[in-house]
Amino acid sequence: MSRKLLLTAVAALGLVFSQGAWSQNIKIAVLGPMAFVQGENHWAGAEMARDEINKAGGISVGGVKRQIELVKVDTNEIQSVPDATNAIERAITRDKADFLVGGFRSEAVLAMQEVAMDSKKLFLGAGAADAKLCENVTKDYERYKYWFRVTPTKSADLARTIFAVLGAVGAQIRTDLKKETPKVAILGEKAAWTEALVKAAQDNLPKMKMEVVGTWQPSPIATDVTAELSAIKRSGADIVFTIVSGPMGIVLGRQMGELQLPAVAFGINVEAQKDGFWQATAGKGNYVATLDTFSEVETTPKTIPFVKAFKERFKKTPTYNAATYDAIHILQTAIEQTGTIDANKLIPVIEKMEAVGAAGIDTWDKSHDLIWAVGKTSGIAVQWQDGQKVAFWPPQTKGMKPFKMPKH
Amino acid sequence: MKGLLAWPRWLWAQLRHEVLVLPSRSFIFSAALLLLVLPFFYDDPYVLRIITMTAIFAIFAASWDLLAGFTGQVNFGHALFFGVGAYTSALLSYHLGWMPWATVPLGAALAMLVGVLVGIPCLRLRGSYLSLATLAFPLILTGVLFAFPDFSGGELGVSGLKRIMVGSVGNYYVAVVLMLLLCFGMWKITQSNTGLIFHAIREDEVACRASGINTTRYKLLAFALSGLFAGLAGALFAHFMRVAGPSSLEVALSFQVVIWGIFGGIATIYGPVLAVFLLYPLTEILANFDMFKEIRLLIFAVIVLLVLLFMPQGLTPWIRDKIELVCPRCKNRNVFTRHQCRLCGAELR
Amino acid sequence: MFQDILISGLVNSGVYALLALGFSLIFGVARIVNIAHTAFYMLAAFALYGLLVVAGMPLLLAIPLAVVAVVALSLVCYKLVIEPVRQHESAVLIATIALALIFQESLLVAFGGSFRGIPNAVEGVVSILGVRVSYQRLIVLAVVAVTLVATWYLLNRTRLGLAIRAAANDQEIANLMGINVSRVAMYTVGISVALAAIAGVVVAPVFVVDPLMWLAPLVTMLAIVVLGGLGSLKGSVIGAFIIGYVEAITVFAVPSGSYLKGAVALSIMIVVLLLRPEGLFGVVFEEER
Repeated sequence: MSRKLLLTAVAALGLVFSQGAWSQNIKIAVLGPMAFVQGENHWAGAEMARDEINKAGGISVGGVKRQIELVKVDTNEIQSVPDATNAIERAITRDKADFLVGGFRSEAVLAMQEVAMDSKKLFLGAGAADAKLCENVTKDYERYKYWFRVTPTKSADLARTIFAVLGAVGAQIRTDLKKETPKVAILGEKAAWTEALVKAAQDNLPKMKMEVVGTWQPSPIATDVTAELSAIKRSGADIVFTIVSGPMGIVLGRQMGELQLPAVAFGINVEAQKDGFWQATAGKGNYVATLDTFSEVETTPKTIPFVKAFKERFKKTPTYNAATYDAIHILQTAIEQTGTIDANKLIPVIEKMEAVGAAGIDTWDKSHDLIWAVGKTSGIAVQWQDGQKVAFWPPQTKGMKPFKMPKH
Repeated sequence: MKGLLAWPRWLWAQLRHEVLVLPSRSFIFSAALLLLVLPFFYDDPYVLRIITMTAIFAIFAASWDLLAGFTGQVNFGHALFFGVGAYTSALLSYHLGWMPWATVPLGAALAMLVGVLVGIPCLRLRGSYLSLATLAFPLILTGVLFAFPDFSGGELGVSGLKRIMVGSVGNYYVAVVLMLLLCFGMWKITQSNTGLIFHAIREDEVACRASGINTTRYKLLAFALSGLFAGLAGALFAHFMRVAGPSSLEVALSFQVVIWGIFGGIATIYGPVLAVFLLYPLTEILANFDMFKEIRLLIFAVIVLLVLLFMPQGLTPWIRDKIELVCPRCKNRNVFTRHQCRLCGAELR
Repeated sequence: MFQDILISGLVNSGVYALLALGFSLIFGVARIVNIAHTAFYMLAAFALYGLLVVAGMPLLLAIPLAVVAVVALSLVCYKLVIEPVRQHESAVLIATIALALIFQESLLVAFGGSFRGIPNAVEGVVSILGVRVSYQRLIVLAVVAVTLVATWYLLNRTRLGLAIRAAANDQEIANLMGINVSRVAMYTVGISVALAAIAGVVVAPVFVVDPLMWLAPLVTMLAIVVLGGLGSLKGSVIGAFIIGYVEAITVFAVPSGSYLKGAVALSIMIVVLLLRPEGLFGVVFEEER
């Protein structure tokens, strides 16, 4: 009788522990809105990393090789913030994830960050640009130190990249159109993240010898910007400086093409970073240029192999969210260096790390935010030319092609 | 000696004669007990989180029923009160650094005030006009909040708020106990004279006025109470999630509470609460299974539709009709197994 | 600037007019607040996308097919879901919300959340009064005009139209007069959704198509019908033009506040309701005892 009891107890214990507590795998939860492009890229980039590392044997933790196990967590953050916090809680307590990567919508990531910090889990952000996420680290280091931002650079640094590229585009206009002072129309969607950028543009452009002919701020989900574009046309602008993240970016590209505006659109246009942009603008979005992250250029030695392999496997170009690939490699480096998966020991290592990823070469400051540097974390600029996304900046990187202007 | 036992005796008498006589009340009583002792058996933070959120939304749904179910002012913008409560307590906490137990009541109070302010223009509107006008208010507030991003945080909202209690068990109890108290309170209101008047206003406002009742005052009272409780739910939500953003004002949330209310059975208070406890954890549980993950909302909508087809009045009235009988003489409810009314002795069948 | 407002306001108003008219029809006759109305508009846009872009059908075949398919779907939904619960107003309400959610989620699963573009029927732009307008927008205007006239003709010059108006006026008496009210309700649902579907296929190339595109027009459309007066067809059309132009003026007059156009439209609706609780042309129904 008692032997039977002992056997069942052992079997039960075995069942309990086999649920994951004693699992040899390192569990990394990939958090993102899986029904949308951002989540798809989060997952795809993570899969690339997992397969690459596992094929080489796994991550070496103090001499023992352990495989990576990915947990796909659909946060549905675009539609519901509570869904996201529930999802991350589930990933931590139910799925027993060791590490968390991903995130996209800043409002949701702020809430998710709280849950992750409560459980003292390392959370590497791969999508939200809000500065507050890293300001929290400075405000309360002991609580928020588990957060690092892998992509993108914070909004303020986006500005530095933009103005660097804008300078290059402006210079090209000066030579092509023989104009001393190119005219710029600022078109930024009405959202919190664009405020600083719009203001910076209004201040900096005159200093860069470019004239600001007006500022327009449609809604991020506006379905019609012909009104704004007519006014822009009348103002004689050469560049439409776009600060857009919503679907309005598609409408903008399409209507600029339809109305045959002689100006070129450059800036941040998140929709234009996606492969689907050409189809979404019904082929009208020619010459639209935007900041981007991945292209078949040699940003780092890893970039071209990664982008090529990604394209072959998933039949599309990666967006910046696919930097989960870099995030997982960062974890691997840190774990192999310290020989443990203890978050507290990994943090100092990551803080001092210079990580050569596929998106760029990452280093972090005191607030666990990316340090901006041209060619390292600045990203690239691409332009749509006849249905293809062509990278044109920074010009010193290998593989860059020239920027084209629309016909006048 | 007698005085010491008086209270437990009274409690026992209440239990025996008021609660345990009806299956529906017994069910609610045992469910409440279960909720209160759950953390002792099962303290998985994920499960506690789900139930905490459910409790908060239950308060929210019950407050909608108080307004829409009882007084017939079908409010399509109930998220307004929720959002006002959330933002007020969040902003007070963020800008002035006050503790949650101070900011939450203040958030609720401001939401109550907003309730009255919204109620005033709604006095002149009827039926669908009222519903569609109330739809607009949260959207207008969202626009205003976006216009002052430095103050309100724009689309990111306010974040970094303090929790009411440390640890998931503490927050669980705050939410569940508040829910039980408030929902019971709301139900008591509806059983009182005031509740009777609310009901009368919905049925026939003209007759109500003809009887000498100041319907304006009662309608505003309904708006105020509804706003108070919804605002409280919003404030609790903000402090639990630690962020208060424009998602607390969105149209989807207003629609969600209408669905919960009607699905559960309007003009009951316990109906919407039951609906939330059934539907919200269901959508969460579905998220655990790969097969259903992507179609959670779809399944939710299909379930709602199917239930509506068979129980158009809502879930709880249908259930109650199955397990309880109404006495033809004194109109009180009895267990369906009885043959004689428990109160007046009349034949039940 | 004035011409810009005139032209851009015209196109938007036209689309809103189609949507609002359909919504008012259903409400007037069947007393159904059809929250899924703009969801049918979205379905039509996706149907066109599927037929045109994915299946590669010619445009002239895809458009009528899309409209017919959506109308047929709506009739099926009406028969299965709405009619059984007709008596319970609140149940009908959330039935339509649930339907809209089902459509949204199904499209999300089928097409994913990214945005799609539908090519124009006719390419090119033309200059009117100094404003560059694409041919597609002119087509939208033309279709809207023809549809509105056709609907007017249907309602005022045909027997079916007479039956619809009678049922909208007083269902009981219409029934007594020998009008098959439930069948008339079905016809109305069909016509109403057809209006929404036509709006969807004609406007889809101009806007972007995604599974969440039904929410924004829903709010504006509700504001319009409330402003114009629930149940008043004339009011809906006029309300559409008012709101359409208010939005256009907001965008032009306040360039950095163009996101406010939604809030402005809603505020105007509230103000009108405060002054005239039945809307501009609303019919005040006697309280049924």
